[in-house]
Amino acid sequence: MTTRSALAGLVLSCTAISAAYLLAFLPGGAPPWAAWGLALGSAGALASMIALGAARGGRVRPVALAASVFVFLLVGGAFGAALLLPANEGPSAVLVLGLPLRTAIVLYGIGVVPMLVLPLAYALSFDRETLSDDDLERIRRATREGDA
Amino acid sequence: MTGWHLLQAAPAVVRQPVIIGIAALYFVVVAAIGVWASRRTRSARDFFVAGKGIGIVTLAIAAMASTLSGFAFIGGPGLVYTAGTGAVFIVLSASITNTMGAWVLAKRMRLLGEARGLMTVPDAIGARFRSPAAQGLSAVAILVAVVGYMATNFLALGLVIDAMFGTGLTFGIWLAMLVTLSYTMTGGILAGVYTDLFEGLVKTAASVTVFWFVWRAGGGMEGISRAITAVDATFLGPWGKMPALSALSLFFVFGMGALGQPHVAHKFYMLRNPRQLKWYPLLMSGAMALTLLLYVGVGLVMRAKVAGGALPPLVRADDATPAFVLGFTPGAVAGLVFAGVIAAGMSTVNSFMNIGAAALTHDLPRAFGRRVGEELRWGRAWTLVLSLAAVLLAQLPGTLVAFLGIFGYGLFAATLVPSLAIGLNWQGATREGAVASIATGLTLTLGLETLAFFKAFALPTGVTVSGLALLLSLLVFFAVSWATRARAASQLDADVRMVMDA
Repeated sequence: MTTRSALAGLVLSCTAISAAYLLAFLPGGAPPWAAWGLALGSAGALASMIALGAARGGRVRPVALAASVFVFLLVGGAFGAALLLPANEGPSAVLVLGLPLRTAIVLYGIGVVPMLVLPLAYALSFDRETLSDDDLERIRRATREGDA
Repeated sequence: MTGWHLLQAAPAVVRQPVIIGIAALYFVVVAAIGVWASRRTRSARDFFVAGKGIGIVTLAIAAMASTLSGFAFIGGPGLVYTAGTGAVFIVLSASITNTMGAWVLAKRMRLLGEARGLMTVPDAIGARFRSPAAQGLSAVAILVAVVGYMATNFLALGLVIDAMFGTGLTFGIWLAMLVTLSYTMTGGILAGVYTDLFEGLVKTAASVTVFWFVWRAGGGMEGISRAITAVDATFLGPWGKMPALSALSLFFVFGMGALGQPHVAHKFYMLRNPRQLKWYPLLMSGAMALTLLLYVGVGLVMRAKVAGGALPPLVRADDATPAFVLGFTPGAVAGLVFAGVIAAGMSTVNSFMNIGAAALTHDLPRAFGRRVGEELRWGRAWTLVLSLAAVLLAQLPGTLVAFLGIFGYGLFAATLVPSLAIGLNWQGATREGAVASIATGLTLTLGLETLAFFKAFALPTGVTVSGLALLLSLLVFFAVSWATRARAASQLDADVRMVMDA
């Protein structure tokens, strides 16, 4: 994946969100399916920003790419499940880890799972994909030479 | 506004010796840090970027402390009590945004700061696009948001101090300003960062402790859910009491907007060793998760207590936290929470005082091709002027102050996300795109929020001013950069390109 693909993903995500917002201006308000534009658009925007930020020399490195795909699938999937599954949050609600099913998918899926995965992925790939001692020394040397 | 209705109605409940003692101890520690830091602040570099000598643990906890204002302890739980799960969408993306911020901003801001000796967020935008106009416009956006945020936080702090010490609201507001000003003006961001560290620890301790009492009082998450779902089938639905579009809109604004918060991005300059960034997402996410337990837990347990008939409905939603800690926790925990609320307000205000002063001392003069001599002295003077302006604004009618505080986050997002977060990662972006997007974000946010305030216009359900302004600012940035793409390469200095490729 390249910076160009990440940017394309970001523009596409913004377009999906724009469509959802435009539908809200229709007489009678947005149709229920308009929420899909924001759900997938938000997931795509965050995933694309991760890929864009993690790219070095125009290419996204493997762990960051996996993190970006993971965020898109997890956020898009959790919001999608909440939109697709039937509502059952009344007295007969089935609770998962103390919350009704759809709510548990959203709150634990988006609010907790990435927190356990992403920081570790970032830390474990940092030396190889983000900034090694050699990278830092090379940049500092180039800066000194530029100043001189 | 922050709901101290309950506290003001029953001051004797609040003014227990243990609660006042803990709050007073908090002020003593903050004052001691201020004195310590003021002795170490000798230059503008010390004042604005803490001498670039901060460690990663301090940085992460200070960033968390300045991110989570008093809203996380008062307004947020109140919103959860009212809107249910929908209110959680404001903080839901925090599980992603801290790591995303590390990938998108942290390394590049830190390396660019070192290569160019930068001190402010508008500095980075100016250097990226070689554009004094972009630097100046972003400084104006920051200034507008900062004064509103400061006024709102001074009012909230004044209400807390009045409720606890019986000072009267006006004196409470002035006292909050004087305490925060005293350490920010003398010790600059060095004092700010170390008081943020202390305040962050207080907030985290308060949140974790309260959550334990929430768990016990509600019978665990299942007990809370059963009590609520028995009487209300939508409160604990995936979007709570909000339409799906509104909840998702919050997720978009707060998810993407996290990349445009200058009081967080600015702190990346201060890190002593950029290799320590490796641990930033882990520390920041962990600290934030613990501190947000109170935000989510208190609103839910109070709703469960009301649903189960154990408590009458709250007169005001913002009373959720004071009512819970006074009714269900010992006095020492209540004292810790009230100290945490003061900490939340002060840690946010001191960061804004500093970046506001930097905009006036450093960024705006540079936008006009001038440099201020003795930036340290001017930085202190502008800190004083901004604080006085914010305190005077804080004494305006409450709804107007709330209005000033509302659009801060959205204004930062709409003006800074495209030019800063995308600009530092896309070599095809142009200065024309940056200037156009900042102007779009500034104009739309101020214009639409003002029209909405005067009820001259209302957006349809599910569309917020901050969401619309951020979206249009992004689209303008892409469109104008694409239209002027032939100029992109010539607007990028070699050292900036090297940092962007790193």
